[in-house]
Amino acid sequence: MITFAFLDWLWLILFVALMVACGAIFYRLGKRSQSDFFLAGRGLPWWLPASSVYATHTATDTPIWVAGVVYKYGFAGLWYAFFAAWCAISAFVSTRIFRRSLAYSQAEWQSLRFGGLGAEMLRGWVAGWQVFMNMFILGWVGIAMGKLCSYLFGWDLWMGLVIFTSIGAVYVLMSGYWGVVMADFQQGVIALLVIFIVSIWGVLAAGGPDEIISKLKSYNSTCEWTVPTTIADSTQAKIRISDPESDKAYVVSTAPFIIRTGKSDDTAYRAVEIKTESQVKNSAPTTLAILFPGDGDVLYTDTDYTIVWTAGKTKKLVNIDVSYDNGMTWNAIDENHPDGQSWRINPFSFTGAFKGQFPVAWFVTMLIIALIGGFGMGTNIDWYSEAQRIQSAKTVRDASYSIWAGTALVLIRNSIWAAAIIGFFVLYPHLASSGEYEMAWYRVGFEYLPIGMVGFLFAGILAIHLSTVSTQLNLGAMYATRDFYHHYVNPRASESRLVNVGRISTFIILIGSFIFGTIIGEEITAWLIFALWIMAAGVWLPNILQVIWWRFNCWGYLSSWIANLGLSWLVVWILPQFGVIPELPDYMQFWLLIVLNALIYLPITFATKPENMDHLVKYYVMSRPIGFWGPVRKEAVKRGLI
Amino acid sequence: MSLIRRQWTAKDADEWCREDWIAIVLSVLAYITLTVGSALSFLLLPTGFVILGVGILVTMLMYWVIDPKLRMISTEYEKKQKDYLQQLEDIQKWEEKQ
Repeated sequence: MITFAFLDWLWLILFVALMVACGAIFYRLGKRSQSDFFLAGRGLPWWLPASSVYATHTATDTPIWVAGVVYKYGFAGLWYAFFAAWCAISAFVSTRIFRRSLAYSQAEWQSLRFGGLGAEMLRGWVAGWQVFMNMFILGWVGIAMGKLCSYLFGWDLWMGLVIFTSIGAVYVLMSGYWGVVMADFQQGVIALLVIFIVSIWGVLAAGGPDEIISKLKSYNSTCEWTVPTTIADSTQAKIRISDPESDKAYVVSTAPFIIRTGKSDDTAYRAVEIKTESQVKNSAPTTLAILFPGDGDVLYTDTDYTIVWTAGKTKKLVNIDVSYDNGMTWNAIDENHPDGQSWRINPFSFTGAFKGQFPVAWFVTMLIIALIGGFGMGTNIDWYSEAQRIQSAKTVRDASYSIWAGTALVLIRNSIWAAAIIGFFVLYPHLASSGEYEMAWYRVGFEYLPIGMVGFLFAGILAIHLSTVSTQLNLGAMYATRDFYHHYVNPRASESRLVNVGRISTFIILIGSFIFGTIIGEEITAWLIFALWIMAAGVWLPNILQVIWWRFNCWGYLSSWIANLGLSWLVVWILPQFGVIPELPDYMQFWLLIVLNALIYLPITFATKPENMDHLVKYYVMSRPIGFWGPVRKEAVKRGLI
Repeated sequence: MSLIRRQWTAKDADEWCREDWIAIVLSVLAYITLTVGSALSFLLLPTGFVILGVGILVTMLMYWVIDPKLRMISTEYEKKQKDYLQQLEDIQKWEEKQ
C-alpha cells in the first residue's frame, strides 16, 4: 500500500481534469457527423493517429506482461512482445489497401471485398465479434487496473475497474474519436515520459548499467520450479544438473531435501526467499554445487521455488532433473537451461532448435506470424483498432506513416521497460512466482521514486489505462452503430441520430465491460493468451488470403472462422484432456490449427462459386490489392478502368 | 535506370513494384534493430548504440525509398476519394436505393 502526499494528489487531479477537458473542448466537433464521431472527419496528420496507436497499445496490463517475459527470459523476452511488428509490412501493404477502401471498420470492408448474402453474414459476424471483443478487452484492461489499485490502495478489484474506466467514458461519450485521439496524444507524451523516468530510476537503483552487467556475470545460475501436486507428503528428493548431449551428471544434491504437501506459511516462504537471494548473489563457491534446495530444506507442493547452482562450471546449456527415489529415476524440470545470468542481456540467447525456454523454432514461428501477418487484415487483434486510425488519417501516405511510427514507438517502449526489468532482476534475482515478478516495473516506480513523483507515476499509469479504454469504447460503439444500427436497422438515419446511437452504444459497452471484468477476475494472463494467440491461429492464414487471393470467397472465410472456434477448443483443451493428443507447446498448437482449419475452408472455397466479377473489379480498382489478382486485373484492364 | 525510382507517374505508382518490397525488407530490419538497439543502449552497451544507429539509418533509407511513391499514390487517390465515399454511402444507405 502507498500513501499519497499533497503533490501526488495535485498531479492526479490535474491529469484527470485535462482528460475530461478534452471531451468538453471537442464536443462540438464530435457531434457534427458519424464520420467525426468515429473517424475525426478523416482529416488527421500522421503523427496524431501514430500517437494514438502508441498510447492505445500501452495499457495497464502491458508492463505486467512485458515484465513477466523479460524477468523470465531476459532480453529474449522482447520477442514475446514483438507481435506488434506485423505493422512493419502492414504499414506498406494492408494499411495502404484498407485506407483506399475507405471502409469505416473491418466489418464494412468485408462487404466491399465480398458480395451478396455471404458478405452480409460476414459483416454481421465480424461486427458482433468485435463488439464482444471490445467489451472483453475493456474487461481485462479494466481488471488489470483493479488489480493495480488493490496492490496500491488496498481497494476491492471492482473499484479500480469501475472508477477509472468511467473517467475514460466521460470524454468518449462527449466527443467520440476526436476526444480519444486528442487525449491519446497527451496521454502518449505523459506515458512515454513516465516510462523513461521510472526505467532510468530502475537502472540506477540496481547500481547503474555497469553494475548490472557486472552482477549478472557474477550471479549464480537459477531455474524456476513449481513442485508438482502429485508428490506424496514427506518425500525425499534430489536435484541433478546434467549435460544435455551426453546426459552425464555434472552434479547431484549431496543430501536430499523434503517435500511436504499443503501450503507453506508466509514467514517460512520469506525465509526461503532470503536464503535463495543470498545464494544467487553470493559467488563464493569455487566448485560446482547445488546451492538450493539442499540438506534440510523443506519445499511444499504447488509452490514456486528457485533452484540455485554454481555458475560457470558447466557447458553453456544444462538439463535440470529431480528424483523422488534417491536417484533411481529422474524427471525433467527443464531442458537446455542456460548457465549463469549473463545470457539475460543477449536478445538471441537460443536454447537449441526445439528445446528449452527459447528455441529457434519458437522464434521463427513468432517472426512468421508477426511479420507475414502484415500482408493480411485481422491477423493480429490490434488490427481492428489500427483500422480506425488508418481511416482517420487524411491521406494514404499519412495512414502508412502513422501505423509504422506508432508501432516503432511501441517496440522502443518495450525495450526501455526491458532494461528496467533487468535492473529489477539484479535487485531481486530470487523471485520464483510470476505473480511477484510481473509487478516488477510498477514496483520499481512505487518503491524507488521520491515522494511527490509517485502521483506523477500514477497519472502516467492512468494515462495508459485511459488511452486503451477510450479507444475500445469508441471502437466497439462504431461497430454497433455503423455496422448494425445504420446498415441493418435504420439505413435512413440522420447524422445527429447516428451520433446519439454512438453514445448509447458506448454506454452499453461500458456496462458490458464491467460484467466481463468481474468474470475474468484474477485470471488475466490465461484469458489473454487464449484470446490473442489461440482464437486467432486458425484464421491467421484466411485473414491474409482474403487480401491477396481473388479466388478466396466469403464462404471460405466464414467457414474458417466457424471452424476455428471449434478447433481451438479441441486442440488446446479438450483433446489433451482426454489424452488424444499430448499438450503441445503454443507454437505447435498454432501450426496444427493452421493445417486443420485449411482442411475445412479450402475445400469449401473451391466447392463454391467465386465472387461476382463486377464486384471484384470495383473493389480491385478502388483498393489495388497485392498478390494473386490476375483474372480480376485483366478484366479491369479490358473494361478500361485501370 | 537507377536502382531506386524517385520520379513516379500516377499509373506506375499504383502498381506493386520493387520499391515496395525494398521498403518492406527495410521496415522489418528497422523494427528489429530499433528493438534490440534501444534495449542494449539503455544499459549503455556499445553494441547497443551501433545497432540503434543502424536502425535509425535503415529507417531513413526506408523513408527515402518509399516516400516519393507514397506521395504520388496519395495525391492521385485523393482526387477520386469523393466518388469512392459516395459509393460507400450508397452501400450503407441501401434502403434509399429501393
